[in-house]
Amino acid sequence: MNEDETKQITFKVQRYNSEQDSAPYFQEFIVPASQGTTVLEGLIYIKENLDSTLAFRTSCRMGICGSCGMLINNYPHLACHTQIEEFHSDTLTVKSLPNLPIIKDLVPGLNPLFENHKSVKPYILRCDEEEMEKPTAEFAQTPQQLQTFLQFTYCIKCGICVAACPTAASDKLFLGPQALAQCYRYCADNRDEGEQERFPVVDTDHGIWHCHLAGACSEACPKGLDPALAIQLLKRRLVSQAIGLRKKQEPAPVVSPPTETKPKVPFPEFTVKQA
Amino acid sequence: MKQIQPRQNYLGPGGWVWAGKYKLERYLYLLHRITGLGILLFLLIHLVMTTIFRIQGQDVWEATIALLHNPWFKIGEYLVAAAFVYHALNGLRLILQELGFAMGRPTPPIYPYKDSLRKKRPWTIALVAVIVILALVFFYDFIAGGW
Amino acid sequence: MRNTYLQFLQLVTGIFIAVLLGIHMVIMHLDAILGFFGVDVTEATSWESMIERAGQGVWAGLYIALLAFVLYHALNGLRGIILELTPSATTERIVTWVIIAFGIIAFIGGTYVPLALLAGQELS
Repeated sequence: MNEDETKQITFKVQRYNSEQDSAPYFQEFIVPASQGTTVLEGLIYIKENLDSTLAFRTSCRMGICGSCGMLINNYPHLACHTQIEEFHSDTLTVKSLPNLPIIKDLVPGLNPLFENHKSVKPYILRCDEEEMEKPTAEFAQTPQQLQTFLQFTYCIKCGICVAACPTAASDKLFLGPQALAQCYRYCADNRDEGEQERFPVVDTDHGIWHCHLAGACSEACPKGLDPALAIQLLKRRLVSQAIGLRKKQEPAPVVSPPTETKPKVPFPEFTVKQA
Repeated sequence: MKQIQPRQNYLGPGGWVWAGKYKLERYLYLLHRITGLGILLFLLIHLVMTTIFRIQGQDVWEATIALLHNPWFKIGEYLVAAAFVYHALNGLRLILQELGFAMGRPTPPIYPYKDSLRKKRPWTIALVAVIVILALVFFYDFIAGGW
Repeated sequence: MRNTYLQFLQLVTGIFIAVLLGIHMVIMHLDAILGFFGVDVTEATSWESMIERAGQGVWAGLYIALLAFVLYHALNGLRGIILELTPSATTERIVTWVIIAFGIIAFIGGTYVPLALLAGQELS
């Protein structure tokens, strides 16, 4: 398509209202689209002009909030991040994310995702509880130490990795690639000392060892997070702990107060010009 | 307001096989599973053959071996050999990658994103080529050894 | 750490199986190719060849070790697959115990014959 050309695209949208329907069904809409029109813009067009009962989540429309994860033409995408043109097709099938419950139409219930995320304790844990609750200063961390886990901090909790994972498709108690990758993000953070608390959470019958490196999570992740890499690195930590090869690593120390003060820049005596 | 019961939307075991157009490693995982189960099934039959039929003496043993010269059994034997080749070599790749050795380091994500499996995909494809070559070697021997 | 240790054993037994079963496969199937290398393996499944191998402690030991590793690796994998279908907690425990019982029975059954043949029991 070029800029001024408008095509009529058929949207086959999954509809489901638990109060009226017994099963999800498809409804078709015709949406005008040109170059650069995203799937989300198509859905908003439907909601504004064709059927205002269509339900979907949207917020930032720029791929950073993680609200609009959907199954578009059988692959999980962020609707705001996906242009209609990239499918080279006049028909788009839009469904709710699989492996997560459907609340209505295209709205997935993200509670299972959040519960799994909370269970891996996704916050900095220190042995010194006083320092943890009432910090006196920042923790020292070099840029090199930051690089070892920075990639995994960009998670927007959209649930697309869980929708892509084949284990999450059948194992209802599986933690999911998102929770496991965030567990690694905190274990690898040198400011954190909570590794021993998180290991029993992931080392369960339905935990990390049901990941079999299908790699679909990393492939589908819209932010390039590579949860598969995080999970395998976490497996390496678990195995080295189990066979006793784990080296005890010093956590990041609290930055000590500066011993010498820099000379203060002299403040002007007045800030408004005096007459 | 009445609380809505969300509808379960799991793909189930069908989601192991097909959930969309994913890349190579997802299907390598599926094939790893299938070959593993196939070898397990063969193992049970094999254990019965080499224990119950072997201990009963030469006649029973040679009758069992003669049964195996049936072409269907020969094809089955070849499939098991090929399955073992695949499962072993893919398993070696999984051991390396699941312990994080052959996956590279975390890098800041810069679009277009290249995840670690994609970066190592040339090696994975080379491994699949080795598997195919070995399977052909076994096949040659099945033919050359005579049905 | 129990699951991690069990899975680590899965990887270790995998490597051992790759070696031992590789030897078994080569002896059993690659007659023609081994012939190129000058290794003469007479029809490996014939009675004479089988009895000759059964009398050697090396082969008996190899088969018993292979059986142990394979049973652990395969049954652990099978348990993983069944558990991924998320049955209830009681079913999971039943499945685990059935698999362990089956593994022990299969191991005992599978080691009895090589040991019996090694000891040179008169076969009927």
